[in-house]
Amino acid sequence: MVTFIVRRLIATVFLLVVVSMITYAVFFLIPRLAGQNSYQLATQYVGRNPTRAAVLDIEQKLGLNEPIWVQYGRFIRGLVFGEHYNSGTSSTYCPPPCFGYSFKSQLPVWPQMVSSLPVTISLAIGAAILWLVGGVTIGVISALKRGTLFDRFSMGIALAGVSLPIFFTGLLSLALFSYKWPIFPNVTFVPFTQNPLLWARNLVLPWVTLAFLYAALYARLTRAGMLETMSEDYIRTARAKGLPERTVIIKHGLRAALTPIITIFGLDLGALLGGAVITEHTFSLNGLGQFTILAIDNQDLPEILGVTMLAAFFIIIANLAVDILYAVVDPRVRH
Amino acid sequence: MALWRGRTKGAARDAAAPTVTDESAPATSAMLDVQDLKIHFPTDDGLVKAVDGISFTLDRGKTLGIVGESGSGKSVTSLGIMGLHHGTNAQVSGKIWLDGEELIAASAARVRELRGDKVAMIFQDPLSSLHPYYTVGYQIAEAYLIHNKVGKKAAKQHAVDMLNRVGIPNPQTRVDDYPHQFSGGMRQRAMIAMSLSCNPELLIADEPTTALDVTVQAQILDLMADLQQEFGSAVIIITHDLGVVAELADDILVMYAGRMAEYGTSEDIFDRPAHPYAWGLLGSMPRMDRARSERLIPIPGTPPSLINVPSGCPFHPRCAYAANTNGKSFNEVPPLRAVGPGHLAACHLSTDEQRRIWGELLAAQLSAADSDQQREDA
Amino acid sequence: MPRRGFMGLAAAGAVAALALAACGGGSSSGGGSGGGSSSAPAGFNAAVTKVVNPSNKRTNGTIYFGNSSTPDSTDPGDTYYANMWNFSRLYTMPLMTYASTPGPGGLKVVPDLATAPGTVSDNGLTWTYHIKPNVKFEDGTTVTSQDVKYAVERTFDRSVLPLGPAYFPLLLAPQKPAYPGPYKDRSKNIMGLKAVQTPDATTIVFHLAHPFADFNYVTAIPQTAPVPPNKDTGTKYQLHPWSTGPYKFQSYQLNKQLTLVPNTFWNPATDPNAKQLVSKIVVTMNMNANDIDNRLLAGDLNVDMAGTGVQAAARAKILSSNSLKASSDDPITGFLWYAYLNTVVPPMNNVHCRMAIEYAANKTNLQTAYGGPVAGGQIASTVSPPNVVGHKAFDLYEATTKPGGDIAKAKEQLKLCGQPNGFTTGIAYRSDRPKEVAAATALQQALSQAGIHTSLHGYPAGTYYANFAGVPKYVHQHDLGIDFGGWAPDWPDGYGFFDFISAGNTIGAAGNTNIEELNDPVVNNLLAKYGTTTDEATRNSYTAQIDMQIMKDAGILPEVYAKSLLYRNPNLTNVYVQPYYGMYNYAVLGLKS
Repeated sequence: MVTFIVRRLIATVFLLVVVSMITYAVFFLIPRLAGQNSYQLATQYVGRNPTRAAVLDIEQKLGLNEPIWVQYGRFIRGLVFGEHYNSGTSSTYCPPPCFGYSFKSQLPVWPQMVSSLPVTISLAIGAAILWLVGGVTIGVISALKRGTLFDRFSMGIALAGVSLPIFFTGLLSLALFSYKWPIFPNVTFVPFTQNPLLWARNLVLPWVTLAFLYAALYARLTRAGMLETMSEDYIRTARAKGLPERTVIIKHGLRAALTPIITIFGLDLGALLGGAVITEHTFSLNGLGQFTILAIDNQDLPEILGVTMLAAFFIIIANLAVDILYAVVDPRVRH
Repeated sequence: MALWRGRTKGAARDAAAPTVTDESAPATSAMLDVQDLKIHFPTDDGLVKAVDGISFTLDRGKTLGIVGESGSGKSVTSLGIMGLHHGTNAQVSGKIWLDGEELIAASAARVRELRGDKVAMIFQDPLSSLHPYYTVGYQIAEAYLIHNKVGKKAAKQHAVDMLNRVGIPNPQTRVDDYPHQFSGGMRQRAMIAMSLSCNPELLIADEPTTALDVTVQAQILDLMADLQQEFGSAVIIITHDLGVVAELADDILVMYAGRMAEYGTSEDIFDRPAHPYAWGLLGSMPRMDRARSERLIPIPGTPPSLINVPSGCPFHPRCAYAANTNGKSFNEVPPLRAVGPGHLAACHLSTDEQRRIWGELLAAQLSAADSDQQREDA
Repeated sequence: MPRRGFMGLAAAGAVAALALAACGGGSSSGGGSGGGSSSAPAGFNAAVTKVVNPSNKRTNGTIYFGNSSTPDSTDPGDTYYANMWNFSRLYTMPLMTYASTPGPGGLKVVPDLATAPGTVSDNGLTWTYHIKPNVKFEDGTTVTSQDVKYAVERTFDRSVLPLGPAYFPLLLAPQKPAYPGPYKDRSKNIMGLKAVQTPDATTIVFHLAHPFADFNYVTAIPQTAPVPPNKDTGTKYQLHPWSTGPYKFQSYQLNKQLTLVPNTFWNPATDPNAKQLVSKIVVTMNMNANDIDNRLLAGDLNVDMAGTGVQAAARAKILSSNSLKASSDDPITGFLWYAYLNTVVPPMNNVHCRMAIEYAANKTNLQTAYGGPVAGGQIASTVSPPNVVGHKAFDLYEATTKPGGDIAKAKEQLKLCGQPNGFTTGIAYRSDRPKEVAAATALQQALSQAGIHTSLHGYPAGTYYANFAGVPKYVHQHDLGIDFGGWAPDWPDGYGFFDFISAGNTIGAAGNTNIEELNDPVVNNLLAKYGTTTDEATRNSYTAQIDMQIMKDAGILPEVYAKSLLYRNPNLTNVYVQPYYGMYNYAVLGLKS
């Protein structure tokens, strides 16, 4: 087991490095290959007043003249030690870990991402708990009561949940429960540490919207998994031993059916931590997803680079966690 | 010529043969008394008559072999005895008396109490029948914990004991292993350990050796024989392989198309089979005392559909002797009648006819064996 | 399977029915947090000409602002957005400011921190201001003239504060070596700007490089709001600028949420242009634009901070409902949308070819492209919009009389420029601005009817001026005779509007805003005279003259005077459109309850 984890960790680190290289190349190497010179590249990084002096300043600071591996090396070093961007005339400091510096907003990228994280994490984890519990429960009941009205009805709703886009369900919930009937007015993010009750209240609508989509998916998956598992031989054995039906369903059936669900859950959560873009935008929540959209809107390359790497990091870590979890859950994988 | 290696102890059955239909209390003092068991499943395609009127008895310490092709209803019979049809849409009628308690009318909760405790079952494929995520020790202990008020440690110790009883080396370490870490034979032993953990009075083994190779088969059968002696439980072995029941069974019930074809002691069935289906089974069975060059004679045709069972005698489409019955095979369901003391067969052929035909078949085989022997010696 | 599908359909149908019910039955009143009184709305455009709900009543309420993006900076020394210049009046007092009144009076600059407009001496090279004594910062310390000088000094270091306008380094008398700002070599350079002197605590003297009669407008920029040197944290100052206005920063989560609370040291007697009427102001940033509109209409939000109007969905709702429309205003914002007609690229270097374009363009279609009469704006026939001081309306090319274009006259002009069968040229525009894309397409279509065939070239807005249309060499090489643009002046007089887009000496190699490359001595002379003409009325008379000359040169094709549809929350008091900002005056708002 330990060797398994160590091997996966090494692979993860390797993967992170490769992702960072590719992302970096996309932003800094490909424009070069497409024929842009470093001055033109620098104009992409400058703020609102692209005077020649400002562009040259940035060209110097980012070292866009240097070979790509030197630039990348400095970037990696900046991640650990921080970075001083020096042109001859001025210096900008980016404290560690330096994911880049946005000259457009005059701020290092990392603190901006960190301040967006609580929102995304709150949204992701709250919704995740809702959809896991709700989706799995409905899936199990549907599988056990296969063919009944409950099964058909819940699978119908699940179909709707999976098919309806988030911007529709989100806007609909806002229109009904925020604008028309002020049950949840003014959905804005209140930090948990500031006011837990209000934090939860304001997140109810986004949680439910996001969870609805995923719960539908998980209900269908759980139902399919349960149906398959409950027809396995070991279920027959469990019953033959005289175990109560509830134990058979949960300890023997659900336990086996949940394995793929858990792995998918890990991956979904990992991707969601990179920013639930549409949900955050619909509900005006300033998480990583909103940060990403704005960075793209403003064509702010350092911010886009930073958020890409962070999202990739979450997904890679989620993959690792899921692999390890799988080995913990299914003993056959370990040997 | 002895065609089977019977067990040295316990030869003939001592109880009187049960009557075919009996609505009242158990006719015998046998531990298990099944009377006219019928299990039907309504499906979209029609009513599947998986078990259509089976009756037999079984004493403690005795072994019954239920033999038949796939689809003959033998596994469904055992599920009926276990009460595993509760919760499905099966229609069950008849009576099953287990130690004086009638099971079919009993509540689902009562039947569940008995399951694993009084009646236990082992299945064909131990790899798929054991849960892959739990250790073998856990699964054995689980059965024990449900039916006995003990602590977890005691249950685990009991599991170690059981593994030891079934002959698994290093039981203290192996108790924490997972099913996939065992070899095929060891797994089946573990399954046996699990089923015997509550000291059941009736053990049902559904194709216990089919998934194992030949050498391991013999070991498992020996193990089962020893344990039966030790625990004193009654055993039902369900199989399509007559060789398996030759080893262990006191009595044999041959099933065809959900109905009884022949029922008697092992001696009856192997020495003087009365039903053409039984002849076919014996003829298609590889045997040590048969010449190597002789071809096996399979029974022509395929098992019948349990929805549209053939009219009259269900075996008649495949029977070489249907013509000898003056058309009765086509129209009349043959009654189950005695062809010897405690020996029943459902066939329109007269007892004399049966004996004659069997005599001819036997002679033909023996002469073929002799001539082969001569050819070999020469 | 079919049964399941039917269930799904039924479920979707139920949801759709709910949605329709929600959309159709919108509340007719503007809602209003805190149970607004049921007085009738003041009427469409009421706030353009008068103050709606005038009141000095203080309440315990909170005004909620929503912003669909983030401010460029809340640091008064580092911002260039109209809505920030407006909003910053809540916590800063620059030397001068725009009068807090609707109508043409709002275009005048009046003293704010200063006691009076600057007194000019030394042939226009010296401007002297006195600041009001006893104006206090939020911690009770008194504002001195040195705080104002320091504020001006900060704007010299573009590496720390790169975003604001750059007038002071441009206009003040230079020193050698060039003043680098107070951040480098701080002990040497703080208070080191020689062109600004502070003889005593309430007097500040500016020495200019050349006479500049418009200097009062320059001191109305928030960059003259006082900054105490020991509280200046450079790039972090935006997190908590030291307040001299009615409110101060309580907390600012950068680019997320800003909370203002009353500044207890603010004295209304010294600041008649602002009011302190509520107990809290909260700005939420990076909100979804449509969400902002919905909350405005539901009453959960009071003001859309951007001030550029509601989105299309809300616009449709407002205009189709009489009661909502009566709570909205459609002011001129001060922006002009137009196309530069380059005077160098042949055959556009012949004025008659350019006039042909003026005649051929279909103004109605262009107006539609920008959003129609309510959201796009009013069809323009002059370069200066109506809210520029000295603006006079005229129409040389039938923009208002024949808004569909006059192909016949266009063809006449083509003959005069020697291209009777038309000519070809390129149209440049910003491809990520849908309105501009639509306008370019409409123009192409209209011109083709006169035989002028154009090719469309879209460029990203971020680098449009830096790399493409704003680079004359690029324009010549790629034959971009027509280039789309938009402009609002830094101050609403003729100089502020025309200088950067038509003065010969502002043509730059990159980042050029005089894209038509106009170099007309009449225009140049008039613009130069702004600096030296001290009489305000005379100065303002130049506006119409310059305007007329540019149009005679057909250097610019005006399209629309931009308008925006604003929704007026019925619970707000003192709501009116401040004509310079083109949006509601944020410095005076209060709540009814």
